[in-house]
Amino acid sequence: MKKRGTVEGLEPMHAVEENNLPLKPRTMGSGLRVNLRGRSVQLRGLRRPPTGILRWLAILGPGLIATSAGNDAGGIATYSQAGAKFGYDLIWVMVILTVSFAVVQEMCARLGAATGRGLLDLIRERFGIAWALFAVSVVLIANGGVTVSEFVGIGAAMELMGVSKYIAIPLGALLIWYLVIFGTYGKVEKILLLMTLVFFAYPVAAFMARPDWGEVARGAFVPTFRADPAYIFIIVGLLGTTITPYIQIFQQSSLVEKGVARRHYGPERIDAYVGAIFSNLMSVSMIIATAATLYVVGQRDISSAADAARALEPVVGSAAKILFGIGLLGATLLAGAVLPLATAYAVSEAIGAPKGVNLDFRRGKVFFSLFTALIVVGATLALIPNVPVMQLLVGVQVLNGILLPIILVFILLLINDKRLTGDLKNTRRNNVLAVSTLILITTAVVVMLGTQLLELFGVQLSQ
Amino acid sequence: MVMFSQLRRFNLIDGHGRRAKLMDLAIALLDGDYPPVTRLFFLDQKNKKRSLQWSQVKKLDLKSRSITVRDLESAPSESTDSMAKEVLLGDDVLDALVLDLQNRRATRANDLWLEQDGNEFVLRAADTSFGAFLRRLTRGRYGHVARSALYDWKYIEFLRGDPDAVRNGEGYHLRVARLPPGEIARLTDMLPYLHASELITLLPDDKAVDTLEVLSPQRQLQVFEELEEDQAIAILILMAPDIAADLLGRLPTKLMRQYLNKLPETQSERLIELLGYPEDAVGGIMTNDVIFARASLTVAEALETLREPLKKPDFVFIIYVVDNLKARRVRGSISLRNLITADAELRLEEVMDPYLSTLNPLSSASEAAYRVIDSHVAALPVVNDDGRLLGIVTVDAAIAQVAPANWRSQAPRVFS
Repeated sequence: MKKRGTVEGLEPMHAVEENNLPLKPRTMGSGLRVNLRGRSVQLRGLRRPPTGILRWLAILGPGLIATSAGNDAGGIATYSQAGAKFGYDLIWVMVILTVSFAVVQEMCARLGAATGRGLLDLIRERFGIAWALFAVSVVLIANGGVTVSEFVGIGAAMELMGVSKYIAIPLGALLIWYLVIFGTYGKVEKILLLMTLVFFAYPVAAFMARPDWGEVARGAFVPTFRADPAYIFIIVGLLGTTITPYIQIFQQSSLVEKGVARRHYGPERIDAYVGAIFSNLMSVSMIIATAATLYVVGQRDISSAADAARALEPVVGSAAKILFGIGLLGATLLAGAVLPLATAYAVSEAIGAPKGVNLDFRRGKVFFSLFTALIVVGATLALIPNVPVMQLLVGVQVLNGILLPIILVFILLLINDKRLTGDLKNTRRNNVLAVSTLILITTAVVVMLGTQLLELFGVQLSQ
Repeated sequence: MVMFSQLRRFNLIDGHGRRAKLMDLAIALLDGDYPPVTRLFFLDQKNKKRSLQWSQVKKLDLKSRSITVRDLESAPSESTDSMAKEVLLGDDVLDALVLDLQNRRATRANDLWLEQDGNEFVLRAADTSFGAFLRRLTRGRYGHVARSALYDWKYIEFLRGDPDAVRNGEGYHLRVARLPPGEIARLTDMLPYLHASELITLLPDDKAVDTLEVLSPQRQLQVFEELEEDQAIAILILMAPDIAADLLGRLPTKLMRQYLNKLPETQSERLIELLGYPEDAVGGIMTNDVIFARASLTVAEALETLREPLKKPDFVFIIYVVDNLKARRVRGSISLRNLITADAELRLEEVMDPYLSTLNPLSSASEAAYRVIDSHVAALPVVNDDGRLLGIVTVDAAIAQVAPANWRSQAPRVFS
């Protein structure tokens, strides 16, 4: 008798039916034994969600990426500046901000799961076109500013490696635009994320610089206030770079796209919390590392990326510049792509235009035009000669801080609308925390604007 | 005749010269292609909410921008809750996500076009142009109404983003149900999941099934979980067993057991059999809804006995010939066309094709998928070691198995 594999289909069926060939051995999972209609059956075809550690890795997605994306060029600049200027004094702000950040991110994630819609989309539906266009302008200004700062970051990173920014920025812009439009972006995203891993050098640097841990603890838990406009300016910058409007929009949209339904929302909140804590731990370690290397030796102002890179010297020595450059390049390219993308996506959604990278230009005119315009404008502004890089980066974060309360008010109104969120409405505790955050940020912004105005009229607050 | 964004600012005047501020208009979505305005809501001098029947309107003057009614004082007062029960043009319809069936897209109603139709004042079209933004922001000063940007309300489906709305029996046009399932699926891909569930809920069951079958697995699950149990079961009964098994396999275990217990016996047995195979095996992609007949039947007898079974399953192009219905050992196959055109007197075993490529239920799903695609027949039978016919792997299932996931899904993905 011939083997079945060669005979099958070549002989009439009645000729092969008598064979009993050994079955190809196959390892099968045990599956799940379930009692159905009074008998027990073994089901192996179930696509169970992963359990154990894999389950948590699957959940930790959007939140972790969204919040890590916050540690971009502007973030690094602001945290470095905070550490260099005021040493460990500002760590308490980050401790408070971690709670606020986690609460805000979780609310956005919940809003996304409960409604299946993006933030600007909901604003349009609930508050009408005028408010929606107002929110769109806020988002465009805030995100436009951050986009400029990302391209500035690309320029700065390449200059650390000896490439002129006048070559690096246009090339970076072209690269991002090409990758997103022609769709290999998904793969590249992973490479960029890998490049940002360089910043794990910061926590290491924070330890190796042997900071005075007593001072660190004091800075973290004893709030200090100074009637110094620069101090308040940096606080608003820290607020703006940590709780950025764009990260909220990103968090909500990515949850919508991940397809988390309202009934499966529960475990997802962990993602938002872990993301916020992780991202702020990185930020704090940046502050400590800069404080322990630059502040203590008396360098109180960071004016270039090269200065900021020196915080990594305790770990990598003379390679600090190059490594910092690689990390900065990864972070800024990533944010430089994600940011215009998320902005174009959210804005198209709000005005009811088709959105998505897999549309052709004819159908996605608004989406592609917005995306292209953000990149072109961002890169062009970043090319202006003699821009004080660090001041610009911090300034954009301050602008974000100023616009943040507006977005927060919208989020709070939406998440408390029972018609929209149903059972996922904000609890009282959530509201207390979120409103406190709002008050904190608004106060900081008002105080900052006040001191800046006073300065303008010649009143000196600082020594 | 008038855009809602302009009408909203009209003065409300009554026969006694009293004035009030117009708030919103209620419409009856149940009534025909163009829903008529039923009531108007306004704020009186003391800022109290009140309503009037639209039939109380005496004159609508576009020149002086005023609406004249009989008597404002007699109007009953209203609360926010009583207003929430109505479908309001301003609050609900304006800015809402709508399906524009003419262009097969989801868009937003930037403005609404109202028209006098006999005695009624009806919602005639939706404006989706950017000019409408300008019109609304400049209070009608700019933003010319372009006829080409007005879409007939007849071909607009208004969705509320709430699957429960359908169960409450609110009005829909249901013209969307006339589209082929693939196009409906593409439309739902453009919608948030609650809107998509609402759309599926309002389709007739058979259309809902066809649409669900072509949705991406993730979307399918999201939408399915929002359905009520009755509709969910009705859909599982009609769904091709292979897709239904995949869907059940991804549900939470408790829900899966509940559905399997509630389905009719034969259906549930079929699904349990399919769920017994690992998903990467042939058994995981096959369907066991297959048509077969005894070899000893004549063509005429076969056509007679197959009339009923042929009405139901999706896949009907090939009929498998078995020795007897109990052991169900495959002897050959015959295409539906050959069966119909064959000599009625001949027996099936004389007209069938006895040369048959078969698949083993436990061999690799992707290898089998390539064999199905390469063989250029509509399906290959799955046969166990005893020669028993277990099911078939259709070319559709085979393509779904080997096609890259991003090629299959049509949803615009950006963030993941």
